[in-house]
Amino acid sequence: MGPTGFIETGGALQAYAAWVNTTWLHSFANYKWAWATMETLHFLGLGLMVGTIGVLDLRLMGFLKGLPVSSVQKLVPWGIGAFVLNTLTGVVFLAGAPYQYLYNLAFQMKVIFMLAAGVNVLIFYAGTWQRAQNIGAGQAAPWAARIAGAVSLFLWIGVMYWGRMLTFFRPPFVVPPK
Amino acid sequence: MPLLASLERTGFATWVREAPTIWAYATILFLHTVGLGFVVGANVAIDLRILGVARDMPLAPMRRLFPWMWAGFIVNALSGVALLIADATTKLGNPVFGVKMAFITLGVVNMAWSKRKLFDNPEELDRVPLSAHAKRVAIMSLILWIGATTAGRLMGYLGPVSGLESLN
Repeated sequence: MGPTGFIETGGALQAYAAWVNTTWLHSFANYKWAWATMETLHFLGLGLMVGTIGVLDLRLMGFLKGLPVSSVQKLVPWGIGAFVLNTLTGVVFLAGAPYQYLYNLAFQMKVIFMLAAGVNVLIFYAGTWQRAQNIGAGQAAPWAARIAGAVSLFLWIGVMYWGRMLTFFRPPFVVPPK
Repeated sequence: MPLLASLERTGFATWVREAPTIWAYATILFLHTVGLGFVVGANVAIDLRILGVARDMPLAPMRRLFPWMWAGFIVNALSGVALLIADATTKLGNPVFGVKMAFITLGVVNMAWSKRKLFDNPEELDRVPLSAHAKRVAIMSLILWIGATTAGRLMGYLGPVSGLESLN
């Protein structure tokens, strides 16, 4: 399978990865049970994100219509907490094995999907939310909100997809080239 | 165990493990992850609500999350069987796998029986604050699903390493 990603900035990426390998975070990531612990937290964060942000997405899409939209929104701070947890643990992985990720198509796609999910959520709360928040039990959300929910669910499942593909797109070198 | 070794050599197990395509092992592993998200996520959403998060969210309509839990569970049972027979000797020889199965069995019993019973009992469901029993069911659910997820992760770190080359 594809050994490298499509984003290649030549020396800059290489220099960055080499620097990362000298940081304390790199040492921490490779210390005893740190990686396994971070991975476990990363998966628990994944479940919590589906249970909060995913549930809001489903409600906006028209499932779980018995739940008023504003009430489901109260789950979202927990989803943000889970997102922060997964970003932090993700940074540990990146610091721990930069060459495994930076040149990996799956990692690059994962980041792009996360950025797209970020744009989607900003657009949603900047506009559509004004109308969506008053949607009560039994009511359908406006089309813009339904689409925002579907796009969010698609992108986050995509993030899971690319996350899982990391191992299969892993570049042939995982040790820094000399 | 010769039975497990022969299971690993079946055409299907070999395909799951060795097919040079993204649609075999990689995709099955992805499905197992999405299934985890829905089983754990839907359970946790209800647990958080029972334990006082998003208090103004009505609990009764959350019963509509049960089909999502079951869908996630079925996806994971099927993908899990595929992943298991592809590496049967190693996985069944790993005590952490037994721990994971125990957590999942108890988690499903808790979700299908205790939680379900709670949702079939409007008197208990509408009580403010919710009964101590409901809270016990929610806390048990959180412990069991966190346990199942953790055990699943740690299977890669504890116990025997697979002797099947394509899995290393």
